[in-house]
Amino acid sequence: MSVVRMISKEIWHRKINFLLAVLAVTTAVAFFVAFLTAARASERETARLMLSMGYNLHVIAKEANLGGFLMSGIPDKTMPQSCLDTLAKQQSISYNHLLATLDGKVSLQGIEVILTGVAPEVCPPGQQKAPMSFRIEAGAAYVGHRVAQALGIQKGQTIALNGRELRVERCLGESGGMDDMRIQCSLEDAQAILGLPGQISQIMAVDCLCFAKRDPVAILRKEIGAILPEAQVLQVKSLAGARAKQRQMIRDLFAVMLPFVLAACGVWIGVLAMTNVRDRQQEIGLLRALGYDTGSILRLFLGKAALVGLFGAGAGFLLGTGLGLRFGPDVFEITAQAMLRPELSLFVFSCILAPLFAVIASFVAAMVAITYDPATTLREE
Amino acid sequence: MLVLENLAKTYRTGTGHVNALDGVSLRIERGEFVAVCGPSGSGKTTLLMMVAAMLRPSRGSVRFENEDVYAMTAPARAKFRAHNIGFVFQMFHLVPYLNVLENVLVAGGAIGAADKTSANELLQRLGLQHRIGHRPSELSAGEKQRTAIARALLNRPKLILADEPTGNLDPENARSVLSHLHDFQQAGGTVIVATHGATAGEFATRTIHLRDGALANPS
Repeated sequence: MSVVRMISKEIWHRKINFLLAVLAVTTAVAFFVAFLTAARASERETARLMLSMGYNLHVIAKEANLGGFLMSGIPDKTMPQSCLDTLAKQQSISYNHLLATLDGKVSLQGIEVILTGVAPEVCPPGQQKAPMSFRIEAGAAYVGHRVAQALGIQKGQTIALNGRELRVERCLGESGGMDDMRIQCSLEDAQAILGLPGQISQIMAVDCLCFAKRDPVAILRKEIGAILPEAQVLQVKSLAGARAKQRQMIRDLFAVMLPFVLAACGVWIGVLAMTNVRDRQQEIGLLRALGYDTGSILRLFLGKAALVGLFGAGAGFLLGTGLGLRFGPDVFEITAQAMLRPELSLFVFSCILAPLFAVIASFVAAMVAITYDPATTLREE
Repeated sequence: MLVLENLAKTYRTGTGHVNALDGVSLRIERGEFVAVCGPSGSGKTTLLMMVAAMLRPSRGSVRFENEDVYAMTAPARAKFRAHNIGFVFQMFHLVPYLNVLENVLVAGGAIGAADKTSANELLQRLGLQHRIGHRPSELSAGEKQRTAIARALLNRPKLILADEPTGNLDPENARSVLSHLHDFQQAGGTVIVATHGATAGEFATRTIHLRDGALANPS
């Protein structure tokens, strides 16, 4: 008679006890899954919004005039292109996209335009992300709306900047901002046109946050200052703040509620396990008398707890996903419903953590079971 | 085979001490059918629990085939019980969620062997072949006790300890149960039956009497 068979038979015999315990695990897992399903959707939504709002961090040369940069959007000093690699390789700062540019003013057919050389975007190692900006091939140019209109430039034409010819790949739509007066090309072309080989004006980053709780800008400046002593940092606080606030809100809410839910469900499972042990005192006594060792008795009760956890994980995942999809938008104000989707990775986590949780919650009861003295329990009639 | 030397068990109570067993010495040879008689509270069950390596004596020793069972570690005692001792209780102590066959096979689980063929043969011999798939709640008292005997016999023990095995049975079933224990003894096994009735005496090769935790007829 294997322990597994005894567990399955006992579960069938005491269905209510088992179902109540599964319900407890289901509650905990459903809370966990619903919360994280909605929270992850919220994170994706925030990331999407931030992408549409642009980069939130600018790293420029230390000697650059900050006032001038804020007024014109173009730093008056450059820094080595190697700064991008240095920043990309460090571990202490998280980012989603890094983009290096070289900006300068040039004249085109009597009109002063902003020339921006764009380096290929850098993503964190091992992470493929959809690029935020164009990838511009060498020899190609993307012309801003106002420049194209003023000079009658059309796609396929060739323009010459400081004697270097670029093929117009695309004329951009109206942005209503500085981009309308910008011509974008590859970084190499811009470096050649501006006579600044191996130089960049700035590195822009999206979702660039350090792993610290308070005053992220100050810490970020310090961190990047240590990595790139030749640079200074500007953070668009409205974006970074919104991101940090959103993350913090999720963390705080989760941190407050999760312990209560886990404690309540843990106690619930523990009480049911204790009831089960008390109901089975004589059975435990008999098994001990027959020669079952403590390990076998523990396996009998902790094995059942693991099964409770496994069933609870399945039911909790389904319930939690349903609740997350239904009520997530109300809790996190997720504007794009498309961001909500079942998180299958949570199912895997649930299948590992829920049995562990149920086993821990039943541990005291299992310990009580092995301390029963068969000489005593078998005499109680 | 079994030597009990100066066995004593003292329980502490709120008002003092109770001597459940007081200096019992006994030698039981292989193939004996010993009936331990005495009124309730005379120490019969305590004596059986000590022989079963389940209740450590306050004093004295239990030697089974020249080995002091209480000198063994707890896991070794569990293994010793699984391989050498079969139990029959007054209250049957069948597992309620297992059927008759599974209740018998539970004993095999302790030694890591589920000998289904032996279990079926035992149940057939005990007249329970038609009850194999039934749960304990569907059995009569006699059938329950015969199931318990089959369970006790499954691991081919050297010794069967039966604590009031006929206490809940009518005379006919009581006789049937004792007769099965007698068969085991006739096949070379050793049986110790604690009882306060007289029926066991008919099958016993020796009857000892306990009174107030001590042997009334020390020999």
